Formats: sequence, C-alpha cells, structure tokens
Amino acid sequence: MTRAFHPLVKRFLDGELRLADLPTELHAEARLAERLLGAVDRAPVTLSGLESRVMAEVRRRATAPRRWWQRLGDPWEIRVRLRPWILAPALAAAAALVLFLTRSQPTAGPVAVAAPESVFVRFVLYAPGAHRVSVAGSFNQWDATAAPLARSGAAGVWTATVAVPVGQHQYAFLVDGRHWVSDPGAPTVDDGFGRRNSIVSVAAAGARAL
Amino acid sequence: MSGALVFLLLPLAPLGVTAQQPVAGRLSGHVDASVIAAVSALADSAAARGLPIDPLVEKAIEGGAKAAPSERIVAAVQAVFARLGRAQQALQTVTTQPTTPDVIAAGAFALSAGLQDAHVQDVARACGTRYSVDEALRVAGTLTALGVPPEETVALVRQTLRSGAKERDVLALPGRLQAELARGATPAQAAAGLARAAAARANAPAQSGGPPRVPPTSRRP
Amino acid sequence: MGTLTDGEVVRAVLAGNIEEYAELVGRYRDRYARFAARMLGSADAAEDAVQDAFIRAFEQLRQCRDPDNFAGWFFLILRNRCLAERRRTARTGSSTDAAAVPAAEQADGPVVQQERRRALQQALLELTPEQREVFVLKHVEDLSYEEIAGRLGASIPSLKMRMHRAYDRLRERLKDVL
Repeated sequence: MTRAFHPLVKRFLDGELRLADLPTELHAEARLAERLLGAVDRAPVTLSGLESRVMAEVRRRATAPRRWWQRLGDPWEIRVRLRPWILAPALAAAAALVLFLTRSQPTAGPVAVAAPESVFVRFVLYAPGAHRVSVAGSFNQWDATAAPLARSGAAGVWTATVAVPVGQHQYAFLVDGRHWVSDPGAPTVDDGFGRRNSIVSVAAAGARAL
Repeated sequence: MSGALVFLLLPLAPLGVTAQQPVAGRLSGHVDASVIAAVSALADSAAARGLPIDPLVEKAIEGGAKAAPSERIVAAVQAVFARLGRAQQALQTVTTQPTTPDVIAAGAFALSAGLQDAHVQDVARACGTRYSVDEALRVAGTLTALGVPPEETVALVRQTLRSGAKERDVLALPGRLQAELARGATPAQAAAGLARAAAARANAPAQSGGPPRVPPTSRRP
Repeated sequence: MGTLTDGEVVRAVLAGNIEEYAELVGRYRDRYARFAARMLGSADAAEDAVQDAFIRAFEQLRQCRDPDNFAGWFFLILRNRCLAERRRTARTGSSTDAAAVPAAEQADGPVVQQERRRALQQALLELTPEQREVFVLKHVEDLSYEEIAGRLGASIPSLKMRMHRAYDRLRERLKDVL
C-alpha cells in the first residue's frame, strides 16, 4: 500500500500552500502531487446537437396529451451498459433490465389518484441472431404480441419501453416466437413449465427494487 | 432522491377488483376447456378458503402463452394452489397482522423462490406490527431468487428490520445485493456483508447522511 | 437589447414561451458537460446525462424555487442523474471505460502525459461518487471549497475529508505512472 500524502502536501494539493511553504523533505512528494493534478483532464467537452435534441423533446412534451401515468410522475430514464457476462458468446443471452424511476416529488398539478400507478420499464435484450423479440409477463397477460422489442442502435440489442403497474411481476422474453428466455442477471423463479421466469419489482415514488 | 417510498402491492390492477368476473371468462381463448374446468374448480376452493384467485388464473394464462400441454398447465396451477394454502397456514399462526390475500400471495411467492414454511414464518415474525409482511416476504423471495440461501435470506431481512430500517431500506436490499454480486461476491457472502452493515447501523449513532457503505467482503475487521 | 437573466428566461418559459428554453440549454450545455464527462467517464454518457437532465429540468421547471439560480438547481438535477447512472453501471473491467474516455487532444504531447490522463480518469471512476464529485468540482471545474459546499449543501470539513481520501486513493492507483 502506498504511503498516504503528508497532511501538508494535501493542503498543497488543495491550493492552500505553495511549494515554497513546504519543508524541503516534502518537495519530492509535492512534485508527485503536481504530476497527479497535471493529469487532470480539464479540456472542455462540447456536446453538439444537444440543443436541438432537447428542444425537440421539450416541444413534444409540451404539446402531447399526457397519459394518466405521465401525470403521476415523469420517467427517469437510466441507461445501463450491458453487463459484461452478457457479451460472452451465448445464443440467447438475455440482458440487463433497466427501470425508469418516477419522480420522487409530488406534482404541483392535479394527480390522477384513482388510477393505479405505473412505471416505465425499459427492457433490453442482447440477441444478435434474433429476428423477432417480445417481452411477456404478468403485467401484460403474457401476451407475446403486446410488447415487441425493436432493434436499437447498438448491434444485436433489442429494446422496448413498457408501462408496468407498480408491484411485483414475472416476465420472460420470447425470441423468434419459439424460445423463452429469462434474464440471467435478474432474480428468477421456476415457472412450473420447465423454465425460469425473471422477476421485476417496481415501486412508486423514487426508487427501484428488484 | 428524497421523498417517501411507497411500495404498492396492487393485485394485477383492474383484475383484483373484478375477481368476481368468472374465471372461465378470463381464461377463455388462452387455454382449452379441460384446463378451464380444472382451474375453475381450484378457484372455487381457493375462494372458499380465503385464498387469492389471481395467481391461479395468471399461471394458467402463462401456461397457455407458453404453449404448455394442458396437463402441465393444470399441474402448475395446482402447485400454485398448494403454495397459497401452505403460506396461509404458515402465516395465520404467526403474524399479528391480518392474513390478507396479498400477504398470502407474497408468502406463496417466497415459497416458490425456495424458502420453506419456517422461513416464511420467521420473516413474518420479524415484521412485528411495524413492517408490511407482504413487502418483507416479497423482498425475501427476491433475495432467495438471486441465490441467497434461505437461512441467510432470513438472517439478512431480520437484521435489517431489527436495525430500525425504513421501508425503503428493506426494498433496497435486492438491488444492493445485486451490486455486491456484480463486485464478485457470492450471494451468501453478499448477504452476510449487508447483514453486518445493518448490524453496524443499528449500533452506530445517527449517520451523517448518505447510505452506509457495505464493507468489502475481503476486508478484515 | 440586453440579455435576459436566467430568472427572466425561466419565467418566460413558464408563461408558455417554450422556445425560450433553448436559451438556457445553450447557456449551460457545455458548462456542465465536462462535469458529467469526468463523473461518468465518457462523452457519450455525459451527453445522455446532460440531455436527460435538461429534459427533466424542463418538466420540473415549476418547482425551481429560485429561477435566478437556475444554474445551481439544474446542477443538482444533473448531479443526481450522474449518481443514478453510476449506481446502475456494473464495474466492468478497466478496458471498457478506459477506451471510452476522451483524452484531450494531445497530438504533440508526450505519451506519458496521455497515459496519466487516462489512468487518472479510470481511477476517478473507482472512487466513491462523493469523492469523485468533490475532486471534479475542485480540480476540473476550479470551484473553491466554499463554492462546492454551497452547491452540495455539505460542510467544508466533510468535503476536505472526502477530498483527502480521494488524493490518497488516486496516488495508490496511479503509482505506476506518476
């Protein structure tokens, strides 16, 4: 384990002391500290095209009629990198499940309290050889046609966004109308038909459970 | 993110309210007549005993969607029925909270994940009057479904509840376990680590904000 | 014609003049892009995060209590978004993240400096989010401890504690290249 920085060198790093303020025996360490700070990337990052994408979405939201589940909370999209074990060669490898969170703060406007809450859930499947993919579960009566996934930008990745009622559900992916695939990373239970179902639990107001 | 976390365990939302809608109507088009007959009979028994019916119907619909043979579908629905009965039996003797259909369904889920009746009872007991039994059972089932052995699951849930955790801390357990799994811990190790963290939280004075860090499993105390 | 203050733009948007929101996006887009890039380790991730944060800020604009401090309020939304992303990203091997990090253009710079830059960004991703955040705000965004404390609502001693721990961890991680 490397030695920790001397407290004076830490203050030097903080900008409270100059090199000249440090005793000579700490100068070597201070230069190492300088090299550390010198490695910081301060280059500005330009995001071109962001304005037009944001405004396109802003205009869409300002004019679109709001569905009842949108009135309850706006989805917080979390994009997750595919987990590494999914990239291992496996024909019907399933992928990470990404949950949208609802906002934690109550909305200022009227809330449709009568309707049960839903949360947007984005389902992601890595299935490069597939021609058709859908997700079916207890939230859509296991209807394999209700929630087809579409190819996303990245090669072999399929996604769909589904409004899932708050609560706990079981689901699986159907690939090419024939293969039922569960998510190896998610908790699974025996489905009673020789396969395993994945479990997703969605909570209202702020956080996801598994 | 701040704000109260509400975990609403609604039965498949509109269906719970219309459970009176005949089972046959819900299954028609999904499964064949023999399955409809068998499931309807089971549903009548379930209703008579105060067991929830939706899990039976959902399992049958699932079987139909998966093109399982009729006998297999009926067997699967019977298995669900059996678990519901076991859960009801186990919970009625233990919990002071009412054994509602939701609680029973949660218990059956925990059983399906691999917990035994005794574990279900332990979790229910640990809830006392303060914590929602169905939430705790669903979390316990999820932890076991992630690979945590049943004993360790119960220990973790118990320790978390004992440490005075809020509802959201209980609900966060599967996610936190998953994070530890991603770091290379086995499910048992991860559960033990989280239980230690909960115990430490119980002993420490008020935290200075932020979730407690789970000690890496390899670190010596 | 003078420039509108942030508060005036916010009020204009809330009054229904949606196109004015582009003014706010333009003002703060790049200022926070760098913070997000250093927090998340790649420009792609930063782009997602900043975009999402602007959209959420628009949706929640009514809840911005001090429209003249839109920047500070927006920063917190972006910060939450960055923290949420890292919580959900499994720790992949170092190769993935290192490849994604945009090293500053150093066509004529020494290879060693390039290596250090990459190593530091990778090491930053291995800090806790709280440690990474204070390091980035101070040493990338050049804020003082007072300013950071004001933004995050944390005490200066606690910030220094996180920072000093970060220094030591970074030193350990970079010992082969410094």
